[in-house]
Amino acid sequence: MQEATFLILTALADGSQHGYGIITEVQQISGGRVKLRAGTLYTALDRLRADGLIGVDREEIVEGRLRRYYRLTPDGTAVLAEEAARLHANATAALRRLNPGLAGGAA
Amino acid sequence: MSEQATLERGYRRILAWYPRSFRAGSEDEVLAVLLATAEDGQTRVGLAEAWDLVRGAVRMRLWPAAPRPRSVRVAVKLMLAGAAAELAAMITVIATLGTVRATVAARDAAALQAVYLHQVSVIGLAPVAIGMWLWLAWANGRGEDWARPLSAACFGLASLSVVAALAQGAAAFAPATMIAAAVVWTLGLSSVALIFTPAACRYYRLQPVQQ
Repeated sequence: MQEATFLILTALADGSQHGYGIITEVQQISGGRVKLRAGTLYTALDRLRADGLIGVDREEIVEGRLRRYYRLTPDGTAVLAEEAARLHANATAALRRLNPGLAGGAA
Repeated sequence: MSEQATLERGYRRILAWYPRSFRAGSEDEVLAVLLATAEDGQTRVGLAEAWDLVRGAVRMRLWPAAPRPRSVRVAVKLMLAGAAAELAAMITVIATLGTVRATVAARDAAALQAVYLHQVSVIGLAPVAIGMWLWLAWANGRGEDWARPLSAACFGLASLSVVAALAQGAAAFAPATMIAAAVVWTLGLSSVALIFTPAACRYYRLQPVQQ
């Protein structure tokens, strides 16, 4: 899974978001490191929707413009949980090897 | 406001590159996000964001997001294999050009003309056939409905040419070519059968109006 995809799913993990909301959430989650652009975001959203990992929660018209809120589907939640566990395990292993003294302390 | 209108026109020009089905459902939504992330007073589309948008458009067109059923995925792979087999057959014919002719000349000089014709037609038509395989693989992968009857028609033509080659007695003078033809024919038959399965039919029917 690409980092952008992982971060988008993470942004939706605790509630639905619209496109711009996802961009700001992702920036926050990544500590300002990842600034998604619209093209990247919508290519990813299009794919995630087709794969059934996210769905449209609701649509609103704000200042005459369509605002679509996305949410995780149960499949999306499962995929994100699995990926997060995998990354966590890798990170734990890396930290354990870097700091042998703290073995077992982390996770 | 007019600054924003200029910027909006710029964005729309690039969004025109996206597939129609995507624009119908999402153009205004993407535009709203683009305008929300634009700098104050920005009137022109920045190079980086233009590049990002064009890249997204290319990706969506080359790899549409709609989930392909397994049968279509396999059919596309078989078609790519068909192109590869066709290439292999062409290389085989070119590599064995001399030996086949020598063998035939020694056994049955009268057949030489037919062999020569057969070899020329295989070498001449192979690039066309390879192109067709690749093109049909691409179109079927995208779920273009016209690609299905076209694939079936091509398979029909290919079958006829195999029958014609058999009738000319090609099996006798070029067994390797006939084996290659049989492989190609089998690939054609399986891929055409796969794109007409019920799951594939649903995929092709629903394709252009994606969500």
